[in-house]
Amino acid sequence: MRTSLRLAAPVLAGALLLAGCSSTSTPSASASGGVALVKSGTLTVCTNPPYQPFEYTDAAGKVVGLDMDLTNEVAKDLGVTLTTVVSPFESIQSGVSLDTNTCDIVASGITITPDRKAKIDFSDPYFNADQGLLVKAGSTLKSADDLKGKKVAVQQATTGETWAKDKGLDAVTFEDLGLQVKALETGQVDAVVNDIAVLGPFVKQGYLVSANFSTGEQYGLGVKKGNTALLAAVNKTLTRIHADGTYTTIYTKNIGTAPTAG
Amino acid sequence: MTTTSTGAPPSEVPARTRMSPRRRARLSRGIQYAILLLALLALVLATDWSRVGTSFFNAGAAKDMLRTFPRAVGNTLTYTLAAFAVGLSLGTVLALMKLSSVRPYRWLATIYIEFFRGVPALLVVISFGFAVPVALGRTIDSFILKAALALGMVSAAYIAETLRAGIQAVPRGQVEAARSLGMSQARTLATVVIPQAFRIVLPPMTNEFILLTKDTSLIFLLGLTAAQVDLTYIGRDALNTAHGGLTGLFVAGGGYLLITIPLGLLARWLENRTGKARRS
Repeated sequence: MRTSLRLAAPVLAGALLLAGCSSTSTPSASASGGVALVKSGTLTVCTNPPYQPFEYTDAAGKVVGLDMDLTNEVAKDLGVTLTTVVSPFESIQSGVSLDTNTCDIVASGITITPDRKAKIDFSDPYFNADQGLLVKAGSTLKSADDLKGKKVAVQQATTGETWAKDKGLDAVTFEDLGLQVKALETGQVDAVVNDIAVLGPFVKQGYLVSANFSTGEQYGLGVKKGNTALLAAVNKTLTRIHADGTYTTIYTKNIGTAPTAG
Repeated sequence: MTTTSTGAPPSEVPARTRMSPRRRARLSRGIQYAILLLALLALVLATDWSRVGTSFFNAGAAKDMLRTFPRAVGNTLTYTLAAFAVGLSLGTVLALMKLSSVRPYRWLATIYIEFFRGVPALLVVISFGFAVPVALGRTIDSFILKAALALGMVSAAYIAETLRAGIQAVPRGQVEAARSLGMSQARTLATVVIPQAFRIVLPPMTNEFILLTKDTSLIFLLGLTAAQVDLTYIGRDALNTAHGGLTGLFVAGGGYLLITIPLGLLARWLENRTGKARRS
């Protein structure tokens, strides 16, 4: 905590200087702790719903989800409100919506990749896009080794299928998640492997996510290339919510299970 | 051109200007050939041949599929044969039920046929794989049996109708002759009517088999292990992994033709043989 604060001061100072001299695209500096925002008094976030549970439109027509909860924390720390702008994912991941000052932050379940890093400055990863192991309540299957000789339902052409085949598991390929879970329900398979994020709703139905398998894929929030002030503010918020338990609350609320340690 | 000349007012020396039927036929044939050529030419010119080569008939991508291809053809054939066995036996029973003098049998057969003929096979396969185990509380362990029952149940509805038509097409005299020879009703049916009915329905039955071959593409919905893959699955899988564009689908399509074309030839040969036997 202390080191990051000490680091943040000069970074903020530098950002203020930058904001002072570069007024070409006119992002108006506001009372947001010295961070320049596209629209003063509000943190504008570009997102591409529906991508449950990260961003989707609720019954009231409002964009909600894990990404929105996180960026809302950032906005709170900056002392501003949150505005969401629905944008095509293409313009989000290519950095176009940031470069054109459509928004301050892009948050749309974006996996951090070297290609995207060249166009966007990513925050610290906020979500591990792991594979989750869904089993019936009471099952003892907890690890890849437990799955040897068992039937594992995977979805065709997904990371989970690749993972299961790499591990040499007896994978049964299904067309979609619904059929995977139906097969688990009817005892045709012993476990289901799919993205951890989509398994949440089934936990509410009495299934159990008994293990996470890391795939190395991580989601990050993106800011405009070179916008170090905002990036520092975002990372500061992420550090804070990890420390004070807000992150766990948000994660559990949206994903349905608690985040794994580490 | 032809229309203007033939459609000319009849007052202007009609006999001279009107073409002879033979010339007219030749002209019309010429026009038809020209249209065909133009269409082919347009198709050839409109197609981007280099892209067709790399994304439809990509040798590298096709070679990647070679490893799973024989197994997929074998599996597809197995599923088809198993489903046909189920369909044929169930279909025969249904056809006889439909012709039965017991009214509830006829009703039952009609309800079954109308239901399974009217519901998409896709839905039947999904229900069979996931709804039946929920309802009965037990699953079928053999995948082949599961696939055969799901597809055979649909096929039986069509086969029953085909067979019924075949049975009814057997000349009445055949039954009368058999009965007057002292054969029982059951024996007449089993040794006289049904064999002749099968000969009559050979062409539509080939159709049914070919349709069933293609319907096996639906079994991916039941969930497949690596040992159970069928042609459609490996085709679709290649779409996801290889760089050969749509080559996977073309290879899979070729696999189906590999099964259905010899089958068509076999059916034609059988038809000729039984046809000759009938004449002699």
